[in-house]
Amino acid sequence: MTELVETEPVLRTENLTKRFGGLTAVDNLSLNLPRGRLQAIIGPNGAGKTTFFNLVSGLLGSDGGRVFFLGREITGLKPHEISRLGIKRTLQIKSVFNQLTVAENLWVTRQAGNRFLHPFRAASRDLETKARVDQTIEQIGMTALAHRPAGTLSYGDVAMLEIGMALISEPRLLLLDEPTCGMSPAETERAVAKIRELARSIDIVIIEHDMEVVFGMADDITVMAQGTVLATGSPKEIASDERVREAYLGRPEDEDYVEEAVHA
Amino acid sequence: MSGRIIIERCVLLAFAAFMLTVPWSVPALVNTFWVSVIAEILIWSLFAASVNLLFGYVGLLSFGQALFFGFGMYGVGIGIDQLHLSFWPAFGLGIFAAMLMALVSGIFAVRLTWHYFAIITVVFSLIFYFLAVTMKPLTGGDDGINFTLPPTFSFGGTQWSFTNATFQYFFILATVTLCFYLMHLVIRSPLGKAFLAIRDNDVRASLIGLNVYLLRLTAFVMAGFLAGVAGALFAFFGRYASASYMFYHVSGEAVVWAIVGGAGTLFGPIVGTSLFIIIRELVSTHWEHHSLIVGVMAIVVVILAPKGLVGLWRDGLDRLVTRDDSKAAAAKLPADSKLRTDP
Amino acid sequence: MMDTLLLLAMNGLVWGLIIALIALGLSIIFGLLDIINIAHGDFFMVGTVLAWASLEATGNFWIGFIMVPLICLVLGALIQVTVIQPIRGVAALSIVATFGLSLILQEVVRMTFGATPRRILPPISGTVPLFGIEYEVYRLFAAALSLAALVAFFLFLQHTKLGIWMRAVRHDRDTAIAMGVPAQRVYVVTFAVGFALAGFGGVVAAPITTVDFRGGVDLLPVCFIAVIIGGLGNLPGTAAAAILLSLLEGIIQSVANPTVARISSLVLMSAVLLLRPQGLFKGHVR
Repeated sequence: MTELVETEPVLRTENLTKRFGGLTAVDNLSLNLPRGRLQAIIGPNGAGKTTFFNLVSGLLGSDGGRVFFLGREITGLKPHEISRLGIKRTLQIKSVFNQLTVAENLWVTRQAGNRFLHPFRAASRDLETKARVDQTIEQIGMTALAHRPAGTLSYGDVAMLEIGMALISEPRLLLLDEPTCGMSPAETERAVAKIRELARSIDIVIIEHDMEVVFGMADDITVMAQGTVLATGSPKEIASDERVREAYLGRPEDEDYVEEAVHA
Repeated sequence: MSGRIIIERCVLLAFAAFMLTVPWSVPALVNTFWVSVIAEILIWSLFAASVNLLFGYVGLLSFGQALFFGFGMYGVGIGIDQLHLSFWPAFGLGIFAAMLMALVSGIFAVRLTWHYFAIITVVFSLIFYFLAVTMKPLTGGDDGINFTLPPTFSFGGTQWSFTNATFQYFFILATVTLCFYLMHLVIRSPLGKAFLAIRDNDVRASLIGLNVYLLRLTAFVMAGFLAGVAGALFAFFGRYASASYMFYHVSGEAVVWAIVGGAGTLFGPIVGTSLFIIIRELVSTHWEHHSLIVGVMAIVVVILAPKGLVGLWRDGLDRLVTRDDSKAAAAKLPADSKLRTDP
Repeated sequence: MMDTLLLLAMNGLVWGLIIALIALGLSIIFGLLDIINIAHGDFFMVGTVLAWASLEATGNFWIGFIMVPLICLVLGALIQVTVIQPIRGVAALSIVATFGLSLILQEVVRMTFGATPRRILPPISGTVPLFGIEYEVYRLFAAALSLAALVAFFLFLQHTKLGIWMRAVRHDRDTAIAMGVPAQRVYVVTFAVGFALAGFGGVVAAPITTVDFRGGVDLLPVCFIAVIIGGLGNLPGTAAAAILLSLLEGIIQSVANPTVARISSLVLMSAVLLLRPQGLFKGHVR
């Protein structure tokens, strides 16, 4: 099946496996993420969450198993091919194009989907793209910073820019790897609000460590440990799951959020 | 338009005007010999530009551009000397050979990055250097082949040929200007922006959907084109082709010119090449050890002005002329972004 | 025919041991400082010139084996501090800097030593019968000395504090620094030792090659080939690759001209780079 089927789960994996030498980072992972829900993936360090994202986005090749995106198999495709299908992803360590301006970052992201990049016509002549770029800059609230090189932005602004880049490319599926990592509380609030807004129209999967963010935002939570799924369900179900509490939610500050979620 | 850009446009205009008058103004100011020096500078600037395109805009440091220079040079040399081609077919052969070689070697080379890419470009150029040295009957080896140049244009009774120094100068000027203009177009284009993205962050580039391998290969062939044109012009200019111009030393010099001039800027290659060749010409008449000055300068510039001379000039101008916050912020970019942000 | 093959093979082996030393110097500079040292061949050349100079000055070639590496250590440290250190972290700039350094070294030698190539007579003359041919005693001595130096170098890396620091920084720079290894000092030592290794190779090789300001140019590609084929960061691999390559080139030279031998090495190197960039040998890889 080569077409994307809208009724299929947005992301499905079958026995996905990845080994690094003697270490099995992702172990026979079979996941089924339905459409229209904001998914969070949580788990202790080393659980294989980022490796999972790397496998899905094509940055890593799998040692076994298959990955399906809206019914279409994407196992083994190259990163740019997977990106063109509509899966966009941010990296754990925020990274954009440092020497390009905010506007240029967005510009190049928008154009990247085109099959053919014109070698001679001036980029500035492309009015349609320019309009989209301006619109997106407004959406993420960075109009004042539009002509700043991305390398000079604060950490929170870079994260915003990444979200903008995700937006402008009109993704079908957005994979966000620890989007609030390293952010101040104010920046976190801003980012969470933006992500919630996006989730209304785009399927999003988030890897997060910040329990407050997760329990406040996610529709479904999947808990990973040692490369496999430990539990999956609504925040309430996960919060009251004994195995999860044991394996992961051992930290006192997380308990508060868990309690809240359970009694919400 | 910022003040800096206005100043730059004026400088560019003055420079262009000067270049147009060289065959008459230079002999009047200095002597005729310098006309051919300037012509040579133009040719080598184009060669340095091929290094700059790859390194400054795509982030690939090639230490083997002399290979494509050599193919352009020998395309013309062998074309005229052994295949008895006339001017334009020989020119075309040189350019075609260089681009073909760039495509074939690029398919392999571009799969590697950073140190490995730099090393394999040297290795490829060395392989062909040694081949050229061995195939003496064809290439003349290090001694090279000399040939007489067929006319460039001939219609009716008139002929225009490189034996006319003024025509030679203007032909070279026109060709080099055209190539730089093409580069300018590419840099401004969507393709050029994609190059910059790859240069900055190739993983991120693939994640937004850019085919990094294909784009790098495209840039590599374009750079091969520039080096090939330079090589062909060189063969026309000197009526001479020699394997010694394929040695890694030649590639290395172009890297120095490009980086000292200012990688990632359009005119960096011209500035860098002019500086070193002018110094070479000025010093070598009095002192045979001018290479020492070249070496020292390379080190000094790289330590004091990592963004190259054009970068230094622009930072200086920005501080003097503009009070724009974003420019000041750009000047404070971390040390490892040694390149300018604007093309 | 067989005699030529044997002779060339033995010469290849001897050279391989010398080149192994020089290539190791290149490898540690590459591995620890992230620098493609264009001037490394010229470090070797400086070693040959200094050997000639010490011979001229003292009439005794043997002193060179001690003096030259010491001078090179000092020179290397100086260069690291003045040239390399200010631009550390930007790899492309260091290529330009080492290229400039190469030009400077060649010109300074040309200015002081002159442009005419010279030869040094081996301090030990005569030949010994070996496998049916008469082989120069000095070359055997050179091979033994190089081998001893190789062993000494590996012992240095394994058992001295500096050596352990160097290995730590090469293995994992950030952890090493976090654990208190003085990275700055390690960089200076590494560059100095790299220069000294090449310089020592120069002294050993001086009597069996010409002393000439361009003597390093030919050597540079060979060193890089050894480093790549051996594997970046794989020091024993690099040494092994140098020896095997040189032996191979020597054997090929008995049936074809030296240029063909060189081309074969280069083609092999390309294949390794493209297919197995970590090198042909197993062992610690970057």
